[in-house]
Amino acid sequence: MIIHSSSQVSRFRLLRRFPLPRGFGILRESRIDPGRHWPAPAGAKRTKTFQIYRYDPESGRNPRLDTFEVDFDECGPMVLDALIWIKSKVDSSLTFRRSCREGVCGSCAMTLDGTNWLACTRFITEMASPASVYPLANFPVIKDLVPDQTHALAQYSMIEPWLKASEPPPQQHERLQSVADRKQLDGYYECILCFCCTSGCPSHWWNGDRFLGPAVLLQAWRWLADSRDDAKGERLDALEDPFRLYRCHTILNCTRTCPKGLNPGKAIAEIKKMMLERTL
Amino acid sequence: MRPRSPNIQNYRPQLTSVLSIANLITALISTVALVAFVAWLVAAALRPSSYGALHAAAVSPIGRALLVIATFAFFLHLCGSIRHLFWDAVVGFELRSIYASGWVAVAASIVLTAAAWLVGRFVKG
Repeated sequence: MIIHSSSQVSRFRLLRRFPLPRGFGILRESRIDPGRHWPAPAGAKRTKTFQIYRYDPESGRNPRLDTFEVDFDECGPMVLDALIWIKSKVDSSLTFRRSCREGVCGSCAMTLDGTNWLACTRFITEMASPASVYPLANFPVIKDLVPDQTHALAQYSMIEPWLKASEPPPQQHERLQSVADRKQLDGYYECILCFCCTSGCPSHWWNGDRFLGPAVLLQAWRWLADSRDDAKGERLDALEDPFRLYRCHTILNCTRTCPKGLNPGKAIAEIKKMMLERTL
Repeated sequence: MRPRSPNIQNYRPQLTSVLSIANLITALISTVALVAFVAWLVAAALRPSSYGALHAAAVSPIGRALLVIATFAFFLHLCGSIRHLFWDAVVGFELRSIYASGWVAVAASIVLTAAAWLVGRFVKG
């Protein structure tokens, strides 16, 4: 099956996950226990079953997988609507991040049915039965669906994501760019830093301590591609490292999962090419 | 310590990740097959009895099955690596191309494996 856009949900239902034991490589505190079942309120006609990852740091217990029956007629069309419905009608302790509810803030990035997407832009009807909702893959969990992004954001600050110009800005106007130069940033400046791609990258799973991951490298390219930036050599020096950049093996899970339809895999390839070109 | 949310235990296998890990596994199989090939040459140079033993193992049903797997692994690695050459030149990164080239690599390695064995038959006479 050919995937044309990252928003396409795979119809391939045969292999939902890799044939590995559930506890494969998982530390004791991360093991997921069976959770409780929350039935639909009386009178619900059409229901949808959601299996949701729960973790309460104050309970001292392991994460659990709770099952919720959501009244489909009572809640809005998106997965985020279902989560809000559960929080207001069933279990007020369900914790998740959300803000804009229209795919521009990146707060509600989660692992939905085994792939990363924003809960606010995924239709409930596109979800499997039962639908599975986990916090972003491979992130430390603060509570329920809230991942700890400290490390990812520290990696982001490492690439110094701001304009480094050698000359002061002109007095009369802002720093100008030609239309063609500005075009170089298309497909990169739109990144909302939801970390769906970094969370879906196997290289980042195994070497996330030193490999920067697709989201941060896409941002690195965004500054390398900017005609107004004068720190290209410096930026490339910081990336020239067996782990920071070159742990990317072009798996391309990043491009498959980007909820904004961007192409982190291509951005990384552009960095590798620029790295090569400067030695020629 | 905070728990870590599951990664490979929960993440959906996709053509992207499956072909990536396949490229690694086929590289391993091809390397082992190369060692076996060298052993075959050494045995042929050594003496008829050692070659006979190795030949008998190679034409046994298990030996043949392993050779078919090794041939397929070689071609899948070849086709997968050609994709990587294009990617290194920043060509073929649209999602559509990633999937199309992936399936072409799978189909081509099946066809090439069949062709290699058919040609082998024909040449043997």
